[in-house]
Amino acid sequence: MNGNVLVLAEHTGKQISEGTYELIGAARPLAAALGGVVEVALLGPRDLAGQLGGAALIACMEHPALTEYLPEAYEQALLAVLNERAPRLLLMSNATAGLDLGGAMAVRWQAPVAAYVIDLAVEGGTVVATAQILGGKILAELELAGERGIATVIGGIFPAAAGQVEASQGEPGPDLVDVAPPAGLDELRMTLRQVVEPQGGDVDITAADLLVSVGRGIESSDNLEIVAELADALGVPLSASRPVVDAGWLPKTRQVGKSGLKVKPKAYLAFGISGAPEHLEGMRGAELIIACNTDPGAPIFSVAHYGTTVDLFDLVPALTERLG
Amino acid sequence: MRVVVPMKAVPDLVEEIELTPDETGIDREYLKFVLSEWDAQALEEALLVKDATGAEVVAVGLAGDPDIDQALYTALAKGADSAIKITGGQDGVLLTGDRAALFAGYLTGEPADLVITGVQAADDMDGQLPPMLAARLGLPHVSVVVQIMAGEGTVTVRQEFAGGILHELQVSMPAVIGVQAARQAPRYAPISKIRQAMQAGGLHEVAAAPAAAGPAPVVRRMYQPQQADHAEMLTGSADEVAAAIADLLRARGLVKG
Amino acid sequence: MAIRILAASAIVAAGLAFAAWRLLWLARLVRSGAPAPGRLTGLPSRLGAELVEVVGQRKLLKRWQSGLPHALVFWGFNILLLTIVEAVGDTFVSKKFAIPLIGHAGVLGFIEDLFTVIVLGGLIVFSLTRVADSPARRGKKSRFYGSHTRAAWITLALIATVMITLLGYRAAQVNTGDFPYGSAAFASRGVARLFQPLGVSANAGLETFFLLANVAVIMGFLVFVTYSKHLHVLLAPLNIAFSRRPRALGALGELPATPAAGSSGQLDLLSWKQRLDTLTCTECGRCQAACPAWNSSQPLSPKLLIMDLRDALMSQGDRPAVGPQAGSSPATPVPDVISQDVLWSCTTCGACVEQCPVDIEHVDTIVTLRRQLVDDGRIEPAIQQVLQGDAQQGNSFGKSGRMRARWTRQLGFTIKDARREPVHYLWFVGDFASFDERLQALTQRLAHILRDAQVDFGLLFDDEHDDGNDVRRIGEEGLFQMLVEHNMAAFEKASFEEIFTTDPHSFNTLRNEYPAHGLDKPVLHYSQLLERLLGDGSIPVQPLGLRVTYHDPCYLARHNRLIDPPRQVLRSLGCDLVEMPRHGLNTFCCGAGGGRIWMTEGERDSERPSENRIREAVALGVDHFVVACPKDFVMYSDAVKTTGNTERIAVIDLIQLVERARSSPAPALEAV
Repeated sequence: MNGNVLVLAEHTGKQISEGTYELIGAARPLAAALGGVVEVALLGPRDLAGQLGGAALIACMEHPALTEYLPEAYEQALLAVLNERAPRLLLMSNATAGLDLGGAMAVRWQAPVAAYVIDLAVEGGTVVATAQILGGKILAELELAGERGIATVIGGIFPAAAGQVEASQGEPGPDLVDVAPPAGLDELRMTLRQVVEPQGGDVDITAADLLVSVGRGIESSDNLEIVAELADALGVPLSASRPVVDAGWLPKTRQVGKSGLKVKPKAYLAFGISGAPEHLEGMRGAELIIACNTDPGAPIFSVAHYGTTVDLFDLVPALTERLG
Repeated sequence: MRVVVPMKAVPDLVEEIELTPDETGIDREYLKFVLSEWDAQALEEALLVKDATGAEVVAVGLAGDPDIDQALYTALAKGADSAIKITGGQDGVLLTGDRAALFAGYLTGEPADLVITGVQAADDMDGQLPPMLAARLGLPHVSVVVQIMAGEGTVTVRQEFAGGILHELQVSMPAVIGVQAARQAPRYAPISKIRQAMQAGGLHEVAAAPAAAGPAPVVRRMYQPQQADHAEMLTGSADEVAAAIADLLRARGLVKG
Repeated sequence: MAIRILAASAIVAAGLAFAAWRLLWLARLVRSGAPAPGRLTGLPSRLGAELVEVVGQRKLLKRWQSGLPHALVFWGFNILLLTIVEAVGDTFVSKKFAIPLIGHAGVLGFIEDLFTVIVLGGLIVFSLTRVADSPARRGKKSRFYGSHTRAAWITLALIATVMITLLGYRAAQVNTGDFPYGSAAFASRGVARLFQPLGVSANAGLETFFLLANVAVIMGFLVFVTYSKHLHVLLAPLNIAFSRRPRALGALGELPATPAAGSSGQLDLLSWKQRLDTLTCTECGRCQAACPAWNSSQPLSPKLLIMDLRDALMSQGDRPAVGPQAGSSPATPVPDVISQDVLWSCTTCGACVEQCPVDIEHVDTIVTLRRQLVDDGRIEPAIQQVLQGDAQQGNSFGKSGRMRARWTRQLGFTIKDARREPVHYLWFVGDFASFDERLQALTQRLAHILRDAQVDFGLLFDDEHDDGNDVRRIGEEGLFQMLVEHNMAAFEKASFEEIFTTDPHSFNTLRNEYPAHGLDKPVLHYSQLLERLLGDGSIPVQPLGLRVTYHDPCYLARHNRLIDPPRQVLRSLGCDLVEMPRHGLNTFCCGAGGGRIWMTEGERDSERPSENRIREAVALGVDHFVVACPKDFVMYSDAVKTTGNTERIAVIDLIQLVERARSSPAPALEAV
């Protein structure tokens, strides 16, 4: 039994995702403690291996069914990789792929799985994963005992930099191993018909240096203009948490969070946002976070650098006047 | 077409959650339980499939879930054709692995064309139900779905990714779908209709078929997160706070002047 | 003579036949409505209402500029019925016909002439009113916006013609010698002088002409009445007789049950009384002018709602509502007569009911239609969430029920638990005063005041649930029943003599609707309790000398006629009260009632009712706006900010005033 940690790489077809680097970075100390190395499962374009310098080995599989992410294809492929590489621990992100595959691998690969993981450690040879549940109110320490385990990890917690190591000059890069595509990839029971991009691609909030963000505390779409004025005055885009987008007050392209976009601006101003874990996942990487919420117990204050309980309806006009 | 909607009761998140003395579980004594919000979305999407195709919708729960009767009667009030309670499992809210075993046992005896359930629950720390259930039954599955259109022998679903990107997939039935959100907000079931459903009876109990659960993680301990960090709070009048914020932004060169 | 009789008979017969046929059809429309129990109980008060509201024109005279002319025309109309009797007698009996007993007393002639002139004068005033308040010019600001103005002008013309032909007939009679009255009949005699030069035989012809014309116009008017909004002349006395007594405010009426099948149209829901309401509507627009929703550019006008129901009712007629065709797939729902937007705009403040001169019960009808929306699940997600949370946790704030009494923790003393020990007063705090952070401070202050005054009071703590007043008015009757059952069980386990509450909405339902479920203890609003305590010296105070205005909460003043206690409190505190124009029974709603406070606001192109109200107060030059309701406190505090009046006026509750007055020296009023 080896002590390897296998990371499932996520990619857009051209680019390895930031989440993958976070997983690789998290995997390295675990692999070291388990007496193994970090391996990456790369399903799809083999040439992306060049972006994965931080791994010791890359298990590649190419097949027409793997050009785009497809749940059943990735499940068959990943299972084949797991059977061949037999790692001690499988790490995946807790995003769509993890939600598709974590439970499936648990059954098919016969391994315990921990979800919503925000911390990982090895204690006495046992992998311990900390899961964040019940809206972030409770943390559970889970032991993944036995020969193997799976953890699906929340994005934005582990630093990506730790996984983006380039191989130094003269040192060999990661080994590349090709895994044979399983027969199941030719007998899939689902097909990808089309990819639908979201509408309203007017503004790319991920490119902004400064974001003015609104949450449910704004109370009505009428009041949006108060905050929009501030955003205009600063010359920056308006972004929002999920409830505002769900209510139709702003388009989906402005949504910050787990099912929206991840942003890392130099400054993030949050007005009336309580800070549910899904939202924090999308913005906790910002350099400067200033949160305005009348509830002093709002979770946003645990990630914000500065905060205030002054009413946003008083603060925003004051800011607009000052900065406009 | 037969659509089965497995449902789970979870603690009402407006409550303060307390732990058992040994800190490996949640103290359920005073907690109110509600239907998992993703299962409510799944039920709504299932009812929309029924509206479009005339499919039969069966809501299924586990007898050990607290207050699950309420959720099942509500499903009937909303238009589900029948409601099943699986008995014989352990009491209390079970780990997903055990739930998957129980639901899979039921579905093996009473197969469905579509299993539609919530993509996750607030407390499923050992993984999500849809993929586990599908793997046990050997069925194709898709999670994080926001729309289900049933056709002849296949369903077309939309799977959501970060940033609002959607993949449209065609999946052959039978299949398991994990719903993130229905096409529209779940319909409202007025209390009067729920009470009518209760009076009409209509909850069928079915004994669990024995099945082994797979390997599961062990809960070592649970705890409430301590806020290690906290924002530095700015106090004063709106003007004073605005001034402080403006200074912070200027210091980083983000605003002029 | 024979031609006269024949002609008149033909006209009268035709007129009566048309009118009767139409009235029978309308009666069928009304009777096919759902049952409306309790409309014949309490005969004495119904007879009283006929005297006061119909004969006495009480509600009309509330706005005397149009009310007085109307009263005069109405009384004139009734008195001039005598002239119709005389005309009929003259046509069919003899030219010497006299009403028995009264005969041809000169004073009768005077009275008839006097009222003919008064009616004509009244018609001129009505015409001027319609020109001054013309919807063509004033748009939605006119109370006649949406009313059938052409029918109104026709009505005025017809009545004028009745008067003119009457005068013409009497004048001609003077000249032919048939006129039975003396010189006191000044108008008839005056006009007679104009006709005199034409000669006797011409006048005889004129007499016949004007008589027949009078009869014809009256018959024509009768038929016109049965086909127009002027139907109210026949239906108003009926509608008032069958109305809820003393008024359709406070508790909801016994509304028709929502039928089980979901495909009935809105019209099928209406009871016969609600149908009669729609036919009685005079289109006067007083309800529309008073409505806070209409005044803030929301789509609801109580008048237009009633008129739309009437129009739909008339066009549906005898045909049943389109329902499921035999053997077809799920029935297509009948399109709504009244749209959801309109129905959800209502705050249930009752200003419409208060104004209506013919006792139409708008709020009851709106809630009836809302019940169907709720039954069909057609409510916006925001309200659904509130209702689901309410069903789950017993409060409309979406918070854990166990948090309800959190505010008691920082008091520094323990409040008695009415579940464990007997208390005199049970304090039913209400959702807002318990859960809203801004209001918890006020609630705590009241607790201190009561404790210092040694009042024996206790709470139900987290056994208190939402009183259900607004849940009921949203239309979720099942949830209301559930909340009442829970609260009644809690009341039964506790031991107390009286209940007081901080919230007028709680006050309304506890006082008016809970007794039917077994509550038999007196219910007070906290202003009444403060009045008591200040009155008997339990709270010693120093006069504040502040210049204030006071906003009457709708559910206190209009629904429950509680206008004086808060004013007495202000007097006891030495405050100088300057009344806003819309005060007391005419108070202007803050906009939060009827579940509106739970709804997401849409686009707004005019100011909110609460902002409108703050402007009304600021115009008085006072610097304090006193409230006695937690929702008012929240709504008006926000409105002061959004209208930019934070420097000019401050919103304060009675509790804060009492607190300030009782300590000496008086500290500055702390911001809440």
